[in-house]
Amino acid sequence: MVAQLGSEPLRASLRQMLAIRHFEIRGEAAYQQGKAGGFFHAYIGQEAIATAAVAAMGPDNWWVTSYRCHGYALLLGATARECMAELYGRATGNAKGRGGSMHLYTDKLLGGMGIVGGQIPVGVGAGFAIKYFNQREKVSVCVMGDGAVAQGTFHESLNMAALWNLPVVFVIENNLWGMGTAVERAVSVPNLAETKAPSFGMEGFVFDGSDFFNCYAGFHHVHQRVLETQRPVLVECLAERFRGHSISDPATYRSKEHLQRLEARDPIFLFKDQLIAEGLLTQSEFEAMDKEERERVLDAMRFADESPWPDPATLEQGVYAP
Amino acid sequence: MSNATTQRISVRDAIRQALDEEMARDERVFVIGEEVAEYQGAYKVTKGLLQKYGAQRVVDTPISEGSFTGLAIGAAMTGLRPVVEFMSWNFSFVAADQIISNAAKTYYMTGGRYPVPIVLRGPNGAAAQVSCQHSHCVEALYANLPGLIVIAPSNSYDSKGLLKSAIRNNNPVLFLENEMLYGDEMEIPVEEYLVPIGKAQIIRPGAHVTLVAHSRMVKACIEVAAQCARQGIDVELIDLRTIKPLDLPTLIASVQKTHCCVLVEEGHYFAGISAEIACALQQACFDYLDHPIERVCQRETPMPYSRVLEAETIPTVGRILDAVERAVRRS
Repeated sequence: MVAQLGSEPLRASLRQMLAIRHFEIRGEAAYQQGKAGGFFHAYIGQEAIATAAVAAMGPDNWWVTSYRCHGYALLLGATARECMAELYGRATGNAKGRGGSMHLYTDKLLGGMGIVGGQIPVGVGAGFAIKYFNQREKVSVCVMGDGAVAQGTFHESLNMAALWNLPVVFVIENNLWGMGTAVERAVSVPNLAETKAPSFGMEGFVFDGSDFFNCYAGFHHVHQRVLETQRPVLVECLAERFRGHSISDPATYRSKEHLQRLEARDPIFLFKDQLIAEGLLTQSEFEAMDKEERERVLDAMRFADESPWPDPATLEQGVYAP
Repeated sequence: MSNATTQRISVRDAIRQALDEEMARDERVFVIGEEVAEYQGAYKVTKGLLQKYGAQRVVDTPISEGSFTGLAIGAAMTGLRPVVEFMSWNFSFVAADQIISNAAKTYYMTGGRYPVPIVLRGPNGAAAQVSCQHSHCVEALYANLPGLIVIAPSNSYDSKGLLKSAIRNNNPVLFLENEMLYGDEMEIPVEEYLVPIGKAQIIRPGAHVTLVAHSRMVKACIEVAAQCARQGIDVELIDLRTIKPLDLPTLIASVQKTHCCVLVEEGHYFAGISAEIACALQQACFDYLDHPIERVCQRETPMPYSRVLEAETIPTVGRILDAVERAVRRS
């Protein structure tokens, strides 16, 4: 697969993962400094999933995800500057300071949605539109956490997508925790994709969400399946999140030893080590890349800091579309 | 008559004509909901549309209000113009998260990136003895939310013209029909027309008291106005037609003329549409009012089944008449 993908795309993917990681680390810092407010749900530890999904299926699809959305926004065309400015609540922000951390968008990303499971039917609607317009090269990628599997919308939406043969890739990012409730305490059966998919007549797939190559190969395969069959699929990517549910969650429900074991499977280091082993990257190149991405986020923070606040005179503008 | 310029038509058929004309005009418009296609509509509003436009544009759904509403929102965000039928607005509560969290907020929350051009329509309010889980008036619940437009017409002319405007609007529109009005007929133009959103209509001009209602209550108020006329009370009757945005200028001008106001709604008293109007009117017309504004609403109980009790809780001609007489006498 390394030969098939080529050195440059793989290095670009690693760079994107670093960009997400630095954005999240600095975003947390900005929050702790009081620069960002509200909720903040870090994607740290799950970067390989979104990066591989966008790399394998291409950005030119419809995408929708939960409030843990920074990574998808950065991958689908939003700049670090506009995303950081959104966290800072500034006029230059991705949503003009109206959405915040949970609500980032691009011309391909429908959100950033704040209610668990609320984005799932919206993603099915994008699949409905793709079919309606007969855009056979496009799919709708509908991303959710494992917590959403217990919501009614999950079951209703998968039923309709299967019933109507809609081109939707449902992706459960199983980070093993719905806030502080372990997935096995929330869902009555283990192996989410394998057990849920057959009940909708769908194919189910499980990827190692820490392993870029595994995710890439998996998403490439399911993308082809959906394009060929015009049927939805259900994917589960396993990757325990490193941080708490949100910034206000210290995640004391996991031991220090457990977290150390997790960090030993850091998707960025796994990917880096694989690229070095393949001779596609050197440690010093990695360090240079890491530094550049850190610098890019620091620049985004300066940009956000210097950006104007939204003009209060605009508060009531844009509630309704013209 | 082949050259007739008007047609006599029921509210049900007027709504269907609006759907038909807009579907013919714009291929992005589609209808989705429970029993809208093969069954031809639970109330036959969508009769014939499946045969004319096919199953891609007239879509029967499973009983999954939350997700077919969410699906329509996603479709609206990606280029389509869905018309969602709720078999009853009572079932919209299952879809409330989609209406409130997604439809109402997306345009603003995305900084103007994604409009949500969607119409949600169906019968609202009480019918005949369908008890409390099938009789709710939802307008006060949803009109509380910025980002939504709420329309509640009372007759065939407005139903057709307002639904056509709603389908062309780029925002989420809640279009509240009433089962008890579906069969009411009226003479309306054959030629295409639109009714603007946000404009109330003076149904009957009068000098003594401003009477305000919407949807089915307009019908009761027409009867009240007729009875009042026989008693020498000259009622100015206003049909809101659109609840949000509210046409305050029309209401204010009327109250400044009559100095007296009675507000009627089928929904409950607490935090009702008429409470909002009363507040706005006392702010704008305080010095013009000769009497506190009267309200006639549904009493503060879940809807009972027995027809005796049901009639007692919904505003009746008798209760409205009492309120008008009380207001005028004190003025």
